Formats: sequence, structure tokens, C-alpha cells
Amino acid sequence: MERMALFPGCLVLQRMPQYEKATKEVLSAIGIRVENIPRAACCGAPLESFTDRWLYLAAYNLSLAERMGLEVVTLCGNCTNTLLRANAALEDPSLRLEVNAVLSPMELRYDGKTTVKHLVQLLVERLDEVRARMTSRLSLRVAVTHPCQAFRPHEVSGFDDPLEPQAMRQLVASTGAEVVDYLTEHDCCGATLYLGDRQLGLEAGRRKLASAAGADVLVDACGNCQLLLERFRGFLGDSHERSRLVVLTLPQLLGLAMGIDDAALGISAASARAIAEAAA
Amino acid sequence: MNERTMDELLADCTRCGLCREVCIVERLGGHSITSFLSGEKDYSSWLCSSCWRCQEVCPQAVDIHTIMMLKRREQAPPAGHEANLVNVMRLGYALQMEDDINELRRFHGLDAVQFIPAEWVETLLRGDMTRNQEDR
Repeated sequence: MERMALFPGCLVLQRMPQYEKATKEVLSAIGIRVENIPRAACCGAPLESFTDRWLYLAAYNLSLAERMGLEVVTLCGNCTNTLLRANAALEDPSLRLEVNAVLSPMELRYDGKTTVKHLVQLLVERLDEVRARMTSRLSLRVAVTHPCQAFRPHEVSGFDDPLEPQAMRQLVASTGAEVVDYLTEHDCCGATLYLGDRQLGLEAGRRKLASAAGADVLVDACGNCQLLLERFRGFLGDSHERSRLVVLTLPQLLGLAMGIDDAALGISAASARAIAEAAA
Repeated sequence: MNERTMDELLADCTRCGLCREVCIVERLGGHSITSFLSGEKDYSSWLCSSCWRCQEVCPQAVDIHTIMMLKRREQAPPAGHEANLVNVMRLGYALQMEDDINELRRFHGLDAVQFIPAEWVETLLRGDMTRNQEDR
């Protein structure tokens, strides 16, 4: 079986084992075994606003994957963007020397041999294999929210349309579900904004959920989106609490179409019931 | 690392306002770095959803992200960002990582994870910087 290194990121690691679990199930179904990177740390993103040492942390994580000899799969837009930009910055030989001087006491070395791919990119590149594993067609209306930082800046990600990405739509369409257009599809969820201003962050999330409310399911592929749109749902106001829109991560939806059990995908009983009712 | 000065970074900006037009913060009534780029004084470099849309649409390829990062190092951070910073500097993670995470993982049928050793966090983030670089 093909092996890859999984970099879930702090949010998924601490709060969303469901997303990681569904990812492992779906990737395993298409013949990829992902392994967590022992001793991996934060990607470095939260440091960048304060110190240039964000790059040391990013390079540290990449060097661990390099030592495993594996490509990295990410689950969060923010980690993807940070690790990709670190790889780009470390093409500069002087920075690479500096970073390797810091890594050497840990017997680690950054040589730039590891590629970083967000789960959406990995899956869409294997769309035929994903399709081949589908066992049923989902009779659902699905709205998609894209992990914005996995596509931008395009000069670094080199993947998909940076302003109107299509990959997630293609993946959702492969389940037989109807991909629903909605006004705020390409707007950010608000999770990072929440760190700077709670009210503005929640308002971004509220608008997204309200705009997607005509769908049965809203699908995301980022720890930040999942945090704001699903976990913070209680803060987003009454009308949305009562909305029947179920928020799932992409591998959870794909897993359903592959006939993988709800529990194995980390889908709660309440969400599973709502999905079954919507599909009926 | 950001070797360019603010003046150099801003040199190609024509104040066309496209960045501000696509900014979700501005649409929600806040004032982000895109207000600064449009010549306004009332803005916060911390009000950002990190969506990178402004930089992607900039016809002049202005490095808005780096401009924002430089500005952030001059403006006091909001509590949420500061909390993440403190956690990363102390633990190597943005959030608290206790051993109960591995219990939660076991419950979900996931293998236990190994955390970064504390002394490596020290080496990476708090040790002397090579080339005697000062944190900005």
C-alpha cells in the first residue's frame, strides 16, 4: 500500500479526531495508508505575525516527513499555506543553511524533498480511484466551502482556480450529490477572523450558513472551517441552530458514498439521522 | 527574512482599491490592511480572515501578506492571536496538547501521537538565533 505522512495540524489533532478518522478511512479505501508524523508540532502559522522563527517550525515539521521519506498530506488550509510557503522560502540557500544549523542538534535536516498537498488536491488527483470505490449515489443537495488557503497564493499552491476552485465541487459531484450554488461559497468561513474580532468572525460564519441553508449538507475541508461552522454553531444564533443543514468534512461525505459506516467516519447519530431524512 | 522595507513593498501599489473590494472584513464593516493600502488611517493589521484573496487579485502583485506581517509587529495583538502565540512558544502547539488527546484518539480508534519534546521547542523557538538575527 502506498504510504503518506499526515499532518493534521493543532486544531484537528486537538478537537477533530472525526475528520482525521474519516480521512484515514477514505484514503485507505483508495489504497493510501497515512501515518502521523511522530513529534510533529504546530505548522508555524501563529508565529509569523510575531517572529521569523515561524520558518524554523515549518522546516522542522517538513524535515521530520523528509526523514520518513514520505509526502505530506494536510487537512487544514492554514497549515497547507504555511508549509507550502516555507518550502518556497527555503529555496533560498542562505535561509536553508540557517534552518539546517537550527535543526542539526536534533539530527534533522531540511533538503526540500517533501511535497505538501492538501487532502482536496490529493483526492481530486485520484478522482478515478475515488469514483471506483463509490458504492451508492447520494441523493443529497450539498453546498461546498473551500479551504481558501490551500489554493492561495496560486504562485505557491499551483493548484486549481485560486479564486473559484473547482476541485471540491468535482469530488462532491462524484458522489452523485447535487452541488448547490450559494452566494457566499467563495467567502472565508471567519475562523481566523474570529481570533482578531469575535463578532466579525461569527458574522462571517452566520452569513455563510444562512446563505447555504437551502442545501442538506455543507461540506468543508479545513479544521478552521469545521471549527467555526460546525463546533461554534451554538454561538451563531437560534435560526441556524434549528436549521437542518448538516456540516460535514469532505472525507465524511465521500465515505458515505463509499458505504463506510457512519461511526467509522465519526458522523454523529443526530447528523446521520438528518442525512437519512434528507436523502429519503 | 523580510528583507524589503515598507517603502519598497508599497512601491508598486497604485491604490486602485481592488484588494479592499474583495476583502471580507471590509464587507462585514471592519477595516483591514486593505484600508491601509487604500490610504486610510483607520484600520487594524490584525483584522484579517487570512483568505489571501486580496493578494491574489492585486494587478500589481503587491506582497500584501508581508506588508500585513510587518504592520502586525508594530501593532499590539488581539487576545486570540496572542494566546496562540504563547501556546506555540511554550508547547510547540497553538492549543493545549495533553495526554488526554491520546485517550480521545484511542476512543476514535486512532493511534497515539508523539508530541514534540520540550527541549526541541526551546531550541527552535527560544534558543539563540543563528546569524544573531533579532526578532522583528
